Amino acid sequence: MDATPAGGRAGTRKVDTGLGGKLGDQLFAGIAWAAGIVVLLLIVGIILVMLVGGSHALQVFGVGFLTHAVWNPVVDHYGAAAPVFGTLVTSFIGLLVAVPLAFGVAFFLTEMAPGWLSQPVGTAVELLAAVPSIIFGMWGFFVIVPVMAQDVQPALIDTIGHAPIIGRLFSGAPFGTGLLTGGLILAVMITPFIAAVMRDVFNSMPAVLKESAYGLGSTRWEVMRKVVMPWSRVAVSGGIMLGLGRALGETMAITFVIGNSNRIGASLFAPGNTIASLIALEFPESPAGSLKLSALLALGLILMVISFITLACSRLLLRQRGN
Amino acid sequence: MSATTTRLGAASRHVAPEAGRARRRRFANLAATVLCAVATAILLAALVSILVTLVSRGLGGLHLSTFTRMTSPPGSGGGLLNPIVGSIIQTVLAVLVGAPVGLLAGVFLAEFGTGSWVADVVRFVSDMLLSAPSILVGLFVYLILVGPVGHFSGFAGAMSLAILVIPIVVRTTEDMLRLVPTSMREAAAALGAPRWKVVMLICVRAARKGIATGILLAVARVSGETAPLLFTSLGNLSWSVNLNAPMSSLPVTIYQYAGSAYDDWVQLAWTAALLITAGVLIINIIARLGLGGRDST
Amino acid sequence: MNDQIGQNAAARPQQGVSFAQTRGAPQALAPGRAMLSLRGLDFYYGANHALKNISIDFPEQRVTGLIGPSGCGKSTLLRVMNRMYDLYPGQRATGEVLLDGQNIIAPGTDTNALRSRVGMVFQKPTPFPMSIFDNVAFGVRLHESLDRAAMEARIEDALRRVALWAEVKDRLRAPAAALSGGQQQRLCIARTIATRPEVILLDEPTSALDPISTARIEELLDELKVEFTIAIVTHNLQQAARCADQVAFFYMGELVEVAPADRLFTAPREKRTQDYITGRFG
Repeated sequence: MDATPAGGRAGTRKVDTGLGGKLGDQLFAGIAWAAGIVVLLLIVGIILVMLVGGSHALQVFGVGFLTHAVWNPVVDHYGAAAPVFGTLVTSFIGLLVAVPLAFGVAFFLTEMAPGWLSQPVGTAVELLAAVPSIIFGMWGFFVIVPVMAQDVQPALIDTIGHAPIIGRLFSGAPFGTGLLTGGLILAVMITPFIAAVMRDVFNSMPAVLKESAYGLGSTRWEVMRKVVMPWSRVAVSGGIMLGLGRALGETMAITFVIGNSNRIGASLFAPGNTIASLIALEFPESPAGSLKLSALLALGLILMVISFITLACSRLLLRQRGN
Repeated sequence: MSATTTRLGAASRHVAPEAGRARRRRFANLAATVLCAVATAILLAALVSILVTLVSRGLGGLHLSTFTRMTSPPGSGGGLLNPIVGSIIQTVLAVLVGAPVGLLAGVFLAEFGTGSWVADVVRFVSDMLLSAPSILVGLFVYLILVGPVGHFSGFAGAMSLAILVIPIVVRTTEDMLRLVPTSMREAAAALGAPRWKVVMLICVRAARKGIATGILLAVARVSGETAPLLFTSLGNLSWSVNLNAPMSSLPVTIYQYAGSAYDDWVQLAWTAALLITAGVLIINIIARLGLGGRDST
Repeated sequence: MNDQIGQNAAARPQQGVSFAQTRGAPQALAPGRAMLSLRGLDFYYGANHALKNISIDFPEQRVTGLIGPSGCGKSTLLRVMNRMYDLYPGQRATGEVLLDGQNIIAPGTDTNALRSRVGMVFQKPTPFPMSIFDNVAFGVRLHESLDRAAMEARIEDALRRVALWAEVKDRLRAPAAALSGGQQQRLCIARTIATRPEVILLDEPTSALDPISTARIEELLDELKVEFTIAIVTHNLQQAARCADQVAFFYMGELVEVAPADRLFTAPREKRTQDYITGRFG
């Protein structure tokens, strides 16, 4: 790494270039740098606040905070395992469904649909991306949960539920709420988000690249597979990352359908909790200075760390595949 | 001419034995097409279902009094005036604060920071902020702007939303600025423009459509945000435009009313849900029309 | 420096086709006086020695064509003469580039003022994302503050010189991106001459254009050289032969030969020049 940041060099380079540019350039470079630093300070602030606030709970429970699936305000005993589990499972289900869906939608819109169709459908997808998450929560609770309870879950129990190992995932009482429903709502929420980004990226691709592949006799699918996808993978991963981040930290939609229970089990039909939904539900009843508030902040820290790891992994992946 | 034809003929005879391969390729293409169409249909069905639900449950509660009356105790015929005004105030303030910071930070990343480790860190951190759960932003603002002051405030709510605006604008600004061709920068520099004019008058201008879209994306996201407001502006049952006091907002009102036991409150929650969704979608459509009308990119 | 530029600009008439005659009274000088002289110029991209000990004169009111195979350094040479390389770290030049006797690659040169004296036109048209009028006005506004009428006159003048006025006079407020490729390139030339530079550098200005647009730009060069010193990089030898008064052949970062166009193409002294112009390499 260079000791002098290039931005600084670029800013100060004009020192030798006289009056008009020099002052404006230095001022402007300074303001731009300051804005960058503000972003940095924000994240440092968030982490520090969680760390300081959560340190009490972390000291009291030690490593057990991560491994205990207990959340009992009565005896003041708190563990993070259940909400962490719920967060990871719902987000995983969400991505599992959303990524292929989003690819399908984005490809359909950019490459397959005729103009008269892709325009309104594209608008519809962007509009779905704009629907606030609390709306997804209400819709999930009032529309999807009954369907899950009456049709989908009984059907799954009758079919895959009898399979040897994976059957355990689809067993239990069909309440309608729970991890699977949460994951599916997340999928619907983040798909348009990811698809919108992918569509923008595919559209910004120079037509020449695609045309030259078509010129070699490639089918549409081959052009997508071999030209569009490699060309756009960096930005597309960014879109998926955006979706995953939204899924991990999604609060309101999950709070409506997750069932609010701090247990860990094999069944995807069982009620659960995510870190975000637990914080939303418990924070109002956590007085300042209490062990409970500290435990919630420690949970927040864990959520931050999970987001951080996700981001770091995808960055690492991109760096390997890039260039 | 005839020589060309012969050569082409020879080539197509060469391809003939590969007919099985061509069939497989065509089938893969067809399968992919169908699957993509199905994916799109699923997503559209979800949107239609949401809109139908909102209209069928929310429209019945929409009266003129919804916009003229304050929220009030169950059974007394309240409206949504204070949450509507509160949402507008907090969103506008959030964008006024967040968008310029995000824009400048995006400019920093695309134009000034190239190659420096500080820029790499800021870019990473901005992406973290983008992925950061909004509820944690609410916790953070609670601990620095609400806890020390001792009371919830609309200002704290707006700041928590501003923090969500920043990374969205940073990313779109940087991405869009990177799409501006180097030749454009060089052409401006070749006329003797100082760097800041090259950036602000040429690059940002060239990218304005994308940047505006990013800001709108941010507006759409924060205007429906509930989680960060729960801990910051909290909600206010009576009229308040005081930024230093708890302030009502549509999403928080929805959250509080939807789970209540009173039919008229649940009805108001649906009406509020219809309003906020319609508002967000209309902003989107207007923006698309406005941006689409200009063709000078 | 800035002040000096401003005074120069103020001293020039605001309107009309004749500022060449009043500008520093060029008639008093013998045509062919070197406006730009390079002396022992070396250029480096990091460790890569891209230009080696180049010495060449660019005579006033003449078109100098720079030819040579890709990567020979001819475009790099242009980018030295307006210090475009300053935009990128790790690029540096040593030696002398004398503009009116003043070494412009010396530290302390005001690059912004320099670039108002040495304009550049690029390979691909680079219309700015604004109206036709604002495109041409952009460079002028950087260096001078003209009142509305003077600005309009300046813009009309520039657009007339590039033979674009008739085509765009009714839609000056329309976005420049709506123009055709050839029109865009002429707009970029208008934008450059509107700032009233002394030297114009053209980097393969017609390589992205159709033959008709190319022909128009070549005619334009002939008219512009009455007032400006012109350096043009081209891959097209016919173009060099048609437009240039003097041609310089570059190979592997070296200046192989520089001569009047007719002499260089008919009787090159160097074997490498001979090989290149007869198509044996490059």
